[in-house]
Amino acid sequence: MKRALIIALREVRTYLKDKADLAFSLLLPVATFALIYGAFGGTGLFHGTAYIVNEDTNGIYAEKLVEKIGQEQSLDVELLSRQDAENKLDRSDLNIVLLIPSGFSDKLISDQPGELTFLQRGNGGQEGQIVASIIRGVVSGLNQEFTVLDQSNQLLTGKDIAPEKIAFTTQKFLEKEQQSPLIEVKETAIGSKPNMVNQFLPGIITMYVLFAINVGTTAIVEERRKGTLERLLTTHLSLGELFFGKFMASALRGFIQTFILLALSYAVFRIFTPISFLECLLIALLFTMACSTLGLVIASVSRTQDSATWIGVTFTMAMTMFGGTFFTISKGTALYALSKLSINTYANDAFKAIITEGGHISDLGVEIGVIAGVAIVGLVVSRLLFKAVPRGK
Amino acid sequence: MSEAFLAVKEIHKSFNGQKAVNGISFTIDKGEIFGLLGPNGAGKTTVIRILSTVLEADAGDVTVGGYSLRKNPAAVRNLVGVCPQDLALYEELSALDNLIFFGQLEGLSGREAKSQAISHLSLMGLTERGKGKISKFSGGMKRRINLAIALMGNPKLLFLDEPTVGIDPQSRNNIFETIRSLRDKGMTVLYTTHYMEEADRLCDRIAIMDGGKFVAMDTPQGLKRQIGDPDKVTLEDVFLKLTGRSLRD
Repeated sequence: MKRALIIALREVRTYLKDKADLAFSLLLPVATFALIYGAFGGTGLFHGTAYIVNEDTNGIYAEKLVEKIGQEQSLDVELLSRQDAENKLDRSDLNIVLLIPSGFSDKLISDQPGELTFLQRGNGGQEGQIVASIIRGVVSGLNQEFTVLDQSNQLLTGKDIAPEKIAFTTQKFLEKEQQSPLIEVKETAIGSKPNMVNQFLPGIITMYVLFAINVGTTAIVEERRKGTLERLLTTHLSLGELFFGKFMASALRGFIQTFILLALSYAVFRIFTPISFLECLLIALLFTMACSTLGLVIASVSRTQDSATWIGVTFTMAMTMFGGTFFTISKGTALYALSKLSINTYANDAFKAIITEGGHISDLGVEIGVIAGVAIVGLVVSRLLFKAVPRGK
Repeated sequence: MSEAFLAVKEIHKSFNGQKAVNGISFTIDKGEIFGLLGPNGAGKTTVIRILSTVLEADAGDVTVGGYSLRKNPAAVRNLVGVCPQDLALYEELSALDNLIFFGQLEGLSGREAKSQAISHLSLMGLTERGKGKISKFSGGMKRRINLAIALMGNPKLLFLDEPTVGIDPQSRNNIFETIRSLRDKGMTVLYTTHYMEEADRLCDRIAIMDGGKFVAMDTPQGLKRQIGDPDKVTLEDVFLKLTGRSLRD
């Protein structure tokens, strides 16, 4: 055990002495966090752009509609020409555009129904559907205003009230109703907040920990390349101690990076309680250990740095895809059956249970068992597969 | 009467059906420098790998200081130090850190390892460069550190696999003097090289190996006498006569 620690400390010392490697590996989680923050940070509410083709130039209701859409907090408005919009839709630069046809305002003024059209690719995409839904809400509000105005006019016309006064009073009532609606919808958060960070952070952490596989693969192959592997084996160091030392070093290194990522998420996004943060750290440590042993298994069957890297990358990608890291896999599908072969599935489920669903580590017996099992079996298998020299140790 | 510190009995080793070592036997006395010469692919490195416990022989046995390699490899590892042909150093660490690291793996405490490391750096004439990174060292300095690491743990038997390849005369001379002084202190040395004049100067006895077998074993003078006047022929003449002039892979 003492020699395994000496090996691990030597790895750590090398890691600390290589300033470029150190800076890169410590900045990587910070950069990843910055990307997450850039993508999902802040309020966590949806924000999109409503692309609009307004062919009803100078139409007062078209302008009013565009203005109302622009007043929505979650939407920016970008006006396009019809040609430009069609080109962008053709190139898939955009998925959905609102078309306000010419004569739209004239029809409304002459009491005829107006018509709006969504030009869209397929179903308009997820973001497009949300934008369309918000626009429908704005249009519905406008419809309501027209209906109320129309009914007020019908009821009050001929009763010696000036039309301007009817319009003004009706508008006042509408504004009052908007400020204090009869039916108000409120949100009450129960457990952790269902925002984008919560949704994606488990997958990002899982992906991150997987990097430990590549650290593990290079640890042994580097020794072979430098020529130090054979020399190590002429000392009192046993192969078991060598592997355990390498395992500790790569697990520690992977864990430090994951710790930085989790700690930043804890401090900035405030999606953890102290307990759930510690639970996530524990799962991350266990998963990093499992990934490190998988790296050692790859190192055991690789003769060169290149082959180790390629096997590591292919393995990582396969685990990520089969593990449903960034998408949900439907039950009963072939992919679902395959996902059970990926360690990512168990790690991802464990992180999701704690981060997204507000669960606890005590409910994750299967996931923890599988991850710990992989760590132990991986260490044993890597040792059995490894040959320092052909037909030698 | 001299005492055999290393005794090799009929060791064999094959790779994919091809004999790399084919039944060689020899002994090395305590405090003797024994040279192992041979063309590329003769089996010298395989012999050293077997003796240093990295490879297991298919047959035969080796005893070092009375311990059987087969039965008690850990005890044998206690007694041997290996200086491999390729530089086996951590370039990103300092010379001192390299020595301490390998010393600790030999079972020394941190303090003992540091003390030995400083002493070996002095022996190699590198005291002033102890804290320098290996990556900044010249080829000759790296070779000297490579040898110094083999001395960590104060082994009784030293395997030197071409320790002077590609270095300047000053470094080579330093290595020779170090080996001689170690021999004078009772260390036993197995030395392989391609430089015949080196073997002639340094070794008490020499074995010439080819095709996994010993084709000759004697003192340098004795070997030269086999083909002529020892004052006129060189060890290289003997080598070429015994192993032929055909090129090897």
